[in-house]
Amino acid sequence: MPDEAPPATGPQRPLPEQFTAIARARPERTAIVHNGHEIGYGALADRVRRAARRLGPRPGRVPVDAVHDPETVVRLLGTWLAGGTYVPIDPAYPAERRAAMLAAVEPAVLRQAGEPAVLRQAGEPAIPRQGGALAYILFTSGSTGVPKPVLTSPAAIATTVGALRDLFGITPDDRVLQFASLNWDTCFEEILPALTAGAALVFDDDAYAGSFPKFVRMLERERITIADLPTAYWHELVNFLVEEDRRLPATLRTVIIGGEAARPARLADWSTLDTGRIRLVNTYGCTETTLITHAVDLCGPLATEAVDWSAATRVPIGRPLPHVVQRIDDETGELWIGGPAIADGYAAPDLAERFTRHDGQRFFRTGDRVRRRDDGVLVHEGRADDVLKIRGVRVDPGEVEAHLAAHPAVGAVAVAGLARGDHTILAAFVVPRRSARTETAAGTGTAAGTEAAAGTETLAADLVQYLKGRVPAHLVPSRISLVAELAYTPSGKVDRRRIKETLA
Amino acid sequence: MTTADITADGTGEITEVTEIFRRVLESPDLAPDADFFAAGGDSLLATRVLSAVARAYSVELTFDDFLLAPTPRALARLIAGGDR
Repeated sequence: MPDEAPPATGPQRPLPEQFTAIARARPERTAIVHNGHEIGYGALADRVRRAARRLGPRPGRVPVDAVHDPETVVRLLGTWLAGGTYVPIDPAYPAERRAAMLAAVEPAVLRQAGEPAVLRQAGEPAIPRQGGALAYILFTSGSTGVPKPVLTSPAAIATTVGALRDLFGITPDDRVLQFASLNWDTCFEEILPALTAGAALVFDDDAYAGSFPKFVRMLERERITIADLPTAYWHELVNFLVEEDRRLPATLRTVIIGGEAARPARLADWSTLDTGRIRLVNTYGCTETTLITHAVDLCGPLATEAVDWSAATRVPIGRPLPHVVQRIDDETGELWIGGPAIADGYAAPDLAERFTRHDGQRFFRTGDRVRRRDDGVLVHEGRADDVLKIRGVRVDPGEVEAHLAAHPAVGAVAVAGLARGDHTILAAFVVPRRSARTETAAGTGTAAGTEAAAGTETLAADLVQYLKGRVPAHLVPSRISLVAELAYTPSGKVDRRRIKETLA
Repeated sequence: MTTADITADGTGEITEVTEIFRRVLESPDLAPDADFFAAGGDSLLATRVLSAVARAYSVELTFDDFLLAPTPRALARLIAGGDR
């Protein structure tokens, strides 16, 4: 397969500059709506400048408690304005995980952005960077059990944000929902195109309440025009609209989905409801490629996919955005992504093998296998490895296995994804260490009687508690099954596929 | 409340809410005291339970409510006491 032509998009101005220029031009316009309370661009820019001043010049890596609040946006932009690197960390994560993340990024500033920077680490940062600070460091799941820090440059994020403003067609009249958790990069798709285009960014507690009646009323009350939803959540929204015969407000003009494969059946439902008028954009991208790299209009005025979704088996992930260079490996079908928006790499050098060079260009090997249709649209065909998407978040089963294997009562373990309705749940299959089995079950290897059942339930519950103390909630399996033995491939690796078929 | 059959102590709702849990979790033997999350539920599946409860009882609960009452019995009691 020949490589795509290099993109023609020019370099973008730094994002903090773009934001302050918009704020100067339109200080009275609404930048953020927070539960009905409006913050103007001028007021927001003042808060951002104050946060930057408190950090001081070149503050290094700035860990920020990423909570659903406009203050997190102030700290993000303030960190950038000061020339620092934003490191969002979820305060709900276990202390051990937070400590591992902080150790991995070696923050120069050990205080929150927006507070006085009193503690500075002496010496050079572990990963010196040519040409200035990184924009942000985010973590993805790694098979070793340690989170992988991904290093992203200001140029990379500015390039993607420029492309997304074009893709979404954002104008100052738009009201963009802030839905994604603020410690994932998806939130940048909402925050940055909006605040560099003069649009309003809407935070509303009813969006995160887990109640679709509240969610739909919120869309109407806040006159949301653009909503970016995880595909798994969108599936449930479509189910709700069908079952309750509900409609979405006429003000909603664009819905962006992404994070995992969209189900053709939900798309068939959506296109036959009155929602068929809404622009529905399916998107694809990785943290390492900086947000979205591929997109396609599935429904609505710009739809190019004129197909009967009820008969389709796969939903395409789209064409490369103008800034994206793609390569599809001839032998494996793996998608490689290059261009100005790919990350600098991982903080740990031993993980560098996914970033590679080809014909003088840097590429990120995504691990996703794709097929290129004649019209240039890519269709996702599966993974080249066992990495899963759980509620839109990338999960390496090896990471969960590494943590479970460290528990004294665990002999062997395999982690896999199981289909449950429209989405995938994380399941662990654990062979208890022989000495840890309950007395009634020991010796025979079969669960005999209620005592053994109670014993296995206790161990499964113990393992859940053990994991909750070490890893974020999305890495804790929804189901832990205690089994007598696992299946292995001829080469001695855990055979996740056969385990799913025989034990699930 | 527009839908009837809400009893003061929630006993009338336990059977129906248990049925909702069983359907959502695809677990036909689930007991009224089973914890939704221990039985394989997650935050997305929880939205299905909340939608079904809203339909049956016209009571709109949030995910935070559900976290505090994650068994059919506890949720039924919450619905019965539902002055929300």
